[in-house]
Amino acid sequence: MGKRVAICALEQVKNEPDIWYQRFQGMLLDCLEPILEKTGVTFDMDKGIRNVITCSDDVFDARTISDSGITDVVGAHFRGEEKMAQDSINGLGYAMACILSGHDDVVLYMGHCKESQAESRYMNTNLAYDPFYMRPLGIDFLSANAFQARAYMEKAGVDDDHLAEIVVRSRKNAAKNPYARENEMVSGDQVKNSPYLADPIRELHFYPMTDWAFGMLLCSEERAKEFCDNPVWVTGYGSCMDSYFPGDRDIISNFALKNAASRAYSMAGVKNPQKEIDLFELTDQSAYQLPMWAEGVGIVDEFAGGKWIEEGGPDKSQVNLSGGMLNGNPVMLGGAARVAEAWYQLRGEAGDRQLKKPKKALAHGVTGAMGQHHGVVILEK
Amino acid sequence: MSDQFGIKVEEIFDTMEERFRPEGAEGVDASYGYDIQGVGKWKLTVKDGQMKIEEANDLGDCVAVTITDADTFVGVNIGQVDAMKAFNSGKFKVDGDLGALGQTAKMFTKFVSGKKEMTVGDFIQDMFATLEERFQPKNVEGLDVTITYDIQGDGGGCWTATIKDGTCVLKEERIEKPTVRLEVGAADWVDVMLGKVDAMTLLSAGKAAIEGDSSLALKLGEIFSKYIAPGEMAEPEQELVRLKKVISVDHRFATGPVMGKFLQGLKNKKIIANKCPKCGRLQLPPREVCAICRVRVPGVVEVGPKGHITINDIAYYSSPDPLTGETRETPYGSINILLDGCKGNETFWHLLRRDQIFEVEESWNEKKGTRVRPVWAENRIGSIKDILYFEIDK
Repeated sequence: MGKRVAICALEQVKNEPDIWYQRFQGMLLDCLEPILEKTGVTFDMDKGIRNVITCSDDVFDARTISDSGITDVVGAHFRGEEKMAQDSINGLGYAMACILSGHDDVVLYMGHCKESQAESRYMNTNLAYDPFYMRPLGIDFLSANAFQARAYMEKAGVDDDHLAEIVVRSRKNAAKNPYARENEMVSGDQVKNSPYLADPIRELHFYPMTDWAFGMLLCSEERAKEFCDNPVWVTGYGSCMDSYFPGDRDIISNFALKNAASRAYSMAGVKNPQKEIDLFELTDQSAYQLPMWAEGVGIVDEFAGGKWIEEGGPDKSQVNLSGGMLNGNPVMLGGAARVAEAWYQLRGEAGDRQLKKPKKALAHGVTGAMGQHHGVVILEK
Repeated sequence: MSDQFGIKVEEIFDTMEERFRPEGAEGVDASYGYDIQGVGKWKLTVKDGQMKIEEANDLGDCVAVTITDADTFVGVNIGQVDAMKAFNSGKFKVDGDLGALGQTAKMFTKFVSGKKEMTVGDFIQDMFATLEERFQPKNVEGLDVTITYDIQGDGGGCWTATIKDGTCVLKEERIEKPTVRLEVGAADWVDVMLGKVDAMTLLSAGKAAIEGDSSLALKLGEIFSKYIAPGEMAEPEQELVRLKKVISVDHRFATGPVMGKFLQGLKNKKIIANKCPKCGRLQLPPREVCAICRVRVPGVVEVGPKGHITINDIAYYSSPDPLTGETRETPYGSINILLDGCKGNETFWHLLRRDQIFEVEESWNEKKGTRVRPVWAENRIGSIKDILYFEIDK
């Protein structure tokens, strides 16, 4: 097993549908201040934070180089600041690389997104596509996911009832998570009667519009004791990019996720994820992705997703106790929200949803639609 | 009466009703004015998915008035003039809400000239009228020749182009012994110029003749750029296509309490800075934290509203605000002001009254720049534009 990196502090604001009363700058500041207070970390150039890694999206912030608007509230002036414009879990991987390489020993890692700011998040994610071939056809993260949903559900025996069950469970779990978006509890019938957005994805199958921000303090193993008594260790990270053009991709193969997971497992020395890992947090933008990503990380046999739901697999394997992305996190921040749940669970701070002494957790993030890019992190007590 | 690109301004307004798309006007209830200088004024009224266009002198109740000349207006409508360039150069101005005007683009199908077909004579006249400007001196360095075009039949005539010292002068005349003389029927020549018929075909069919230096005749395509008929777009030489795309996503930004205080101040004709509790520096406009001391900055102080100019930069172009489409007339003075109560780099950015941009002094070394005061907008909404501009404080 290789070296590991400590997460010494984690702070977040509550996920909300519309934080109309605050700029994202203020949201980040609300995360930074308690980190400084609880850990005593400073911005001293010898002993403190010399590098800040932030996660945000230009289009959602409506400014190019979106990190330029937040450098002051993340304390980044007069030091390194670098932005991750993919799912935030890759920011964690990047921070880890900075520390393991010896370039930095203390890194502040923060992220924000207000989906409520734009007229339509679908218009924004349409901009992620090729302007000439894909955008004019109306392809966005939702409509593209529907293609994958159709193909995967057919192959894996996942039906409308299964999806309803996933949504109902997500909301029940999220109700126990004080940072989760407050959503109405729904019945299976309500889910099945909610209107189609893009067949087979119904309105309640897709994560609701959300605003959120978070911050974490990471450091080298040697320095962890200076900042906290109870760090969570990052022991593995892997990522994998699949083709940009959806037509080039085998959209039911889970190719990128399998690769990302196997890299993270090998770094963390995980041989049998089902046995060794106590909880899994998967970025399920849409309900069908829960079983699909569970297959991708190797805890469900390939194309056995439908059966897995029927047999209560998500509860047995302790998947998405936070409520998952499906309950509501902003785009690109799904991965960090998954890490947050693992952090509380591993530290024994997960309140009503606390597992019995979990030792190892997996957190996953996905960038783009149909799983174009996946990132997987292994966290340990 | 104007007649730009072979199209009259009136044609564009007259065809508005047939080009109207009610689905593009859904929910619109507004009037738009068009002040086409030297031609007239029109008012477009859109309501309940219906439209009316009329000549009108009073455009007072319009949400946006387009002010431009006939050339630019027609050019933009037929795609011969780049709207953004015209806008930036000040040839195409909009008084009022540019965003609202943008809606009209969705309401109408593109204007297609309904004018009658050009006659052979029209083409011949236009071809020779544009010959000098189509001359390509770079391609014919050192060329010293005369070319006579003997165009026969209806609409024809005789023209001679004299090419010397990198210039081309065309006269409607016949000269003795030109370097080359082309003889061809008017209708055939139009077909050649429009690319419908190959010149060699005409020659071999005996429908055209070359006298003199025939190699020069073969080089005409290099000496002159391709003739483009009025209203036509130039054919690209390669298979390159230009795709115009506009990204437009409406946004609603939160101000939070700090920015909110500043904007609320402007509404009340006050300029507010916030003061770092640690280092004491002012931030203008106020921000949540002092980036240097990394502390929250809750305390505010009122500064100005008068101050002196530190830098006045004169900008000769004006890109529209991508969020609102608002723009400025050029040239304009973009100024840095040290408001009373501020020191060092605690400057404020704004605009200078346009007729004073060449009259102010900047601050250099010990010398202080011209004193200025804000001119406030009548209706203030909590925006940086609540200050229209600063002017000299006389």
